[in-house]
Amino acid sequence: MTGGSWYPIFLREMLLFRRQLLRISYLFSAMLIPIIYLLTFGLGLGRSVQINGTDYLSYLIPGLVAMSSMINSYTWVANGLNLNRLYFKNFQVFVQAPIPPSAIMVGEVLAGMVKGLFASGLILIVGFIMARDLSITPLFVLTLLLNCFLFACMGVIAGMVTKSHEDTATYSNLFMLPMAFFSGTFFPVDRIPEPLQTAVWIFPLTHTNVIIRQNSISTGGLVSLGVLFLYAIIFFVIGSRLIRDYSE
Amino acid sequence: MIEVKGLTKQYGNIRALDNLSFRVERGSVFGLLGPNGAGKTTTIKVLTTLSKPDGGVAVVAGHDVVQDPTAVKRLMGVMPQENNLDRELTAYENLLIYSMLYGAADPETKIHSSLNLVDLWDRRDELVTRFSGGMQRRLLIARSLLTGPSVLFLDEPSIGLDPQIRRQVWDIIRKTRIEGRTVVITTHYIEEAEALCDRVGILDKGSLIALGTPEELEATVGEYIVEFVNDEGKLIQQICKDREEANNLVLCTDCEVTIRKSNLEDVFIKLTGERIE
Repeated sequence: MTGGSWYPIFLREMLLFRRQLLRISYLFSAMLIPIIYLLTFGLGLGRSVQINGTDYLSYLIPGLVAMSSMINSYTWVANGLNLNRLYFKNFQVFVQAPIPPSAIMVGEVLAGMVKGLFASGLILIVGFIMARDLSITPLFVLTLLLNCFLFACMGVIAGMVTKSHEDTATYSNLFMLPMAFFSGTFFPVDRIPEPLQTAVWIFPLTHTNVIIRQNSISTGGLVSLGVLFLYAIIFFVIGSRLIRDYSE
Repeated sequence: MIEVKGLTKQYGNIRALDNLSFRVERGSVFGLLGPNGAGKTTTIKVLTTLSKPDGGVAVVAGHDVVQDPTAVKRLMGVMPQENNLDRELTAYENLLIYSMLYGAADPETKIHSSLNLVDLWDRRDELVTRFSGGMQRRLLIARSLLTGPSVLFLDEPSIGLDPQIRRQVWDIIRKTRIEGRTVVITTHYIEEAEALCDRVGILDKGSLIALGTPEELEATVGEYIVEFVNDEGKLIQQICKDREEANNLVLCTDCEVTIRKSNLEDVFIKLTGERIE
């Protein structure tokens, strides 16, 4: 459908990302929030806490990896698209090029995934140093990839529909912040009061947190995996259509 | 090469294009002249498939811009009014990404020849953010020419440039008139339209109010303009059909007068009562 026409979009993002990496501010901003959480919740609060028989740090780190992959995949794509569309007008170069709209979608999403995986990798490195029972299974990798994919797709949607850069920040506060705190990153969802639990299961990150902590897939995990795939497909289709129907 | 029939485009309550129609012949340079907000950029956006019209038809090289946008995209090069280069990439990287988007064969040679044309080959590995405004405009021209388009759209190509750099940009545009390439330029600079265009369409409030060669359009107002400042300090412009009439007018006034050839702005003033600003 897209052939290799997504590659220039992806390459552009990677060339820009390479330069961002050389700036200390990028590494600092990508790691700061998860590291703060790791120190306050993991080392401070979590020293005397055990969850489901494991030490709190080993429980927390997969959650932080999921959260970090969500924030980075989403934010970089949403902010980048929004700025490129409204201010720098680079997005218009893609729209005027003879490539299918889905190529723009694939290129942007893959670039968002790389940024999400990179930030997650940094947390994992710290996690391996600090936690005792941390292991990476194929299921962990699959879940992480799926999480990056669906939140990068969500980033495309936000980047395409927002009418100003301020709107992107509003979307982040409205969706990302509640998801980060209530989706099982810091504590199991079953500790949330009953009426809220139903709402929390709507969040994709809740399902990511369920599977990312499993060594092998359970029945509940299969359902969560299905939900993640469904979200990924829906977000991808919506994002592609928004790009296809773009008109100034 | 380009045929526009009854094009309309509405933004809220503003009618950006109002039943716009014109033709551009293959190999010619066509200029759309008009003040800010006249609909020039909207016309370019529709022709380059960036904006979908509300009504009417636009055909580029036999391809409808709405029905067959990909075919139009393959043929065209675009230099937008806004600088939409990637400032955090080098000049070379900008052109490399562009050549890949268009699936250009032998991109190395094409990038070399495009950057040479605008005299930027030696600066190819510098980040665009370090380029001056004039260099960035030149790089935009290089990018628009990279894939050898048969139709070139230049939206306000020399906007914001000082006169010396503007003339450099004009020289580059003149060099692009090769191999029957069709060029569409939008501008609000009278001299630019006169210097570069074979035919000019004058736009006002989304409608075409005049169309012809610069000479034909200027002939509609008279060949000469006599200008003088009256007792109240107001600039008066009097249109004269020939030099003799202009000379006679000079003899009739005690003020200090200037006689000059008419230009496209005089055409616009005659038609709308306002200046192009």
